[in-house]
Amino acid sequence: PCRAQPKKKKKVDVKKEQAQKERMKKRIKKLEKAAPELIPIEDFITPLKYSESNRVRSLPALSPEESERRVLLLKKWCLFKQKQDEAEKKAIKALVESQQEALKELRLESEELYQAAIRRDEGLFPFERDGPSYTPPLPGYDPPEGKCVDITKVYTQ
Amino acid sequence: DALLGCHRSYRSRPTHGIGKFKYLLPQEVPKKRKEKVQMKEISAGTEYQYGDVNIQMTSYDLCLVEHFAQYVHRLCNRLSIRVNESYAMPTKTNEVLFLEERGSKMQLDAVLTTHQRVVQIRGLSSTFAPILLEILQSNQPEGVHLLVKQHTEADFKSRLKSRPELEELLAQMS
Repeated sequence: PCRAQPKKKKKVDVKKEQAQKERMKKRIKKLEKAAPELIPIEDFITPLKYSESNRVRSLPALSPEESERRVLLLKKWCLFKQKQDEAEKKAIKALVESQQEALKELRLESEELYQAAIRRDEGLFPFERDGPSYTPPLPGYDPPEGKCVDITKVYTQ
Repeated sequence: DALLGCHRSYRSRPTHGIGKFKYLLPQEVPKKRKEKVQMKEISAGTEYQYGDVNIQMTSYDLCLVEHFAQYVHRLCNRLSIRVNESYAMPTKTNEVLFLEERGSKMQLDAVLTTHQRVVQIRGLSSTFAPILLEILQSNQPEGVHLLVKQHTEADFKSRLKSRPELEELLAQMS
């Protein structure tokens, strides 16, 4: 049905919507201006209770034989660790050298195989490995029922 | 008096710059402005070199994981592998509850904290990668879970705080 005066609702709606959109855009611009922050890491913040206490540990005095024994033990340990480290470095060098030699021989054999071997391996990543455990899991162990609840603090900007 | 009070010294004369003294004072450090956290470019790497690779170490034991991360960093320095960054991911706290034998109440057993350290390297050659993985595996301490993967933008975003208001507004817009 036609009306004498057409409804003015449409124009006002469009204007209101435009104004709303502009307001939202302004708000988004304001929020985007602030740079994103990194989540603070709780490991690096010492809790206050460790800095407030006045307890001081008093250690007993060491006898000269005991300190002598400790110094000699330290020296032996240093030597042992040095030998271990050098052996490791030697092993790495040997690995690299043998790899290079093998690649040289392969190159002499066929150029194609050499090029294919040099290429990077896409299946290598992601690489996952669990560390060794002190005690392997028991075969017939029946653990009690329970659940794990994640209570990490969620930081919002 | 007016002639004597004049401080002008001509540039050709030896008395030029006679009154200067600021070069003798100690250098003032310019004020440090807060640097914006921006994502660095992620390199994809060529055919014979891997791009940005993340070595992530996770464990319940903080000291162990810290020391292992330091060891890996020093190893990469020694093997002349470029280390982009070496940072820590936020710690996760888990509450372990178990069901009591007699009764239906959940008993608090322990509160465990999971720590994660990341060492980001670039320019690892394809022939050396297996050797590096061997070294990492042989030196892996107990209880430390090792994960080696490519660096992605999602990894970087997981370090930043979430902005629910911005996300809400963006969802409303589209």
